[in-house]
Amino acid sequence: MTKTEDAPSRAHQLRASVQRFGGHLAGMVMPNIGAFIAWGLITALFIPSGWLPNAQLAELVDPMVKLLLPILIGYTGGRLVHGQRGAVVGAVATVGIAVGADVPMFLGAMLVGPLAALLLKLWDNSVGEKVGAGFKMLVDNFSAGIIGGAMAVLGSLAIGPVVEGITKALGNGVQFLLDAHLLPLVSVIVEPAKVLFLNNAINHGVLSPLGVTHSAESGKAIEFLIEPNPGPGLGILVALALFGMKAARATAPGAIVIQFLGGIHEIYFPYILAQPRLILAAIAGGASGVLVFSIFDAGLTATPSPGSIFAILAVTPKGGWFGVLAGVVISAAVSFIIAALLLKFGRDARKAEREQEVANGGTVKS
Amino acid sequence: MSSIEGSAIKKVVIACDAGMGSSVMVASQLAKRLKPYSVSVTHTPVNDIPEDADLVLCQMTLLARARKSTGETVVLGFQSFLGDPVFDKVEAAIRDGGSLAD
Repeated sequence: MTKTEDAPSRAHQLRASVQRFGGHLAGMVMPNIGAFIAWGLITALFIPSGWLPNAQLAELVDPMVKLLLPILIGYTGGRLVHGQRGAVVGAVATVGIAVGADVPMFLGAMLVGPLAALLLKLWDNSVGEKVGAGFKMLVDNFSAGIIGGAMAVLGSLAIGPVVEGITKALGNGVQFLLDAHLLPLVSVIVEPAKVLFLNNAINHGVLSPLGVTHSAESGKAIEFLIEPNPGPGLGILVALALFGMKAARATAPGAIVIQFLGGIHEIYFPYILAQPRLILAAIAGGASGVLVFSIFDAGLTATPSPGSIFAILAVTPKGGWFGVLAGVVISAAVSFIIAALLLKFGRDARKAEREQEVANGGTVKS
Repeated sequence: MSSIEGSAIKKVVIACDAGMGSSVMVASQLAKRLKPYSVSVTHTPVNDIPEDADLVLCQMTLLARARKSTGETVVLGFQSFLGDPVFDKVEAAIRDGGSLAD
């Protein structure tokens, strides 16, 4: 008996720790989304192929993505570990890996920011605490300065090149999947993970750091479309609004507005958790969306957050709307059809409601 | 297992993964319902729940993470973001008195 009782709780623990780890990754990125959007809009507008090409303003693009955004991530990562002091050393350490790198060092920033802050925290909690009151400011400032500076040097000489290699290898992996037309397969992982509330971890922790390398090179990245595509969720919610159980039919229309227009995807996860087979509709919808995106070579300049259709269209590069909209529409249609089939076009719901009525002593309407 | 009297609830915290999306939506819905009873409703990331919260609400899937940082505070899970019975229960406890336990 204990075995069967242990299994789900272990699975829950695993899920909670993956969520927690992913939450930390996303927690470094998400407070800075505004800066990502600023960068995405400036890129979409002012690069040579943009809406309003402008050489002077286009010069903002490179420093923003190579320095500002990684430093913000490192700063926020440091702050999560050790408050304001951690944030400062996190930012300093990030400069070490970001300066001179060919690719935007988002993954590197997620590593060295918290690491530098952790070192400072260890120092503060051991040596720093024993310092006499009159010398506290002196020691605090110099310990932060020395640890931050040392981490920047270490980052520039050692950590940076390694992380740059890893970032490039991962980017090449995505490119390989894209070239081999295998990218739709990632939906098999992404959609179920999303529904387990790993959506932010997947998008902001993994896909968007990969996409930014791509986007900095070519002005757009398909990685930004994989998780935020509101199509699969929309299809499922429409199917639930028509064919779901009574409670789902009542709430799904409101959820559609919040999900598709407002970009809060979380709202459809509980419906899938309640009827897990619906995940098949999400996977099929997600995969067909990615397929359409890759056929039309669609991409976004920056990560749309939240994943609202408005946010997606705002960061779509000039000339890219057709491919992006086609992918969203197709994924919604596919997930709607599969979800409708899985819900047997409402036959189960109607049957259950009739049984309920009979159980309550009501009359049977046929 | 902890519990709290409805009348003692002054600050409700809605937690979600990032504290910027679904929790904001739920918090603004609940704030409207609890306004007559002068109960404040805020939203935070689930890893960063403030200590002065009287009651914490989050999606079921995030319960384990929320409990990790809340100590004795009552943490209730909801399944659906829209029209979950837990929200009615919370409003009823605050309006009519009665205790909430997790």
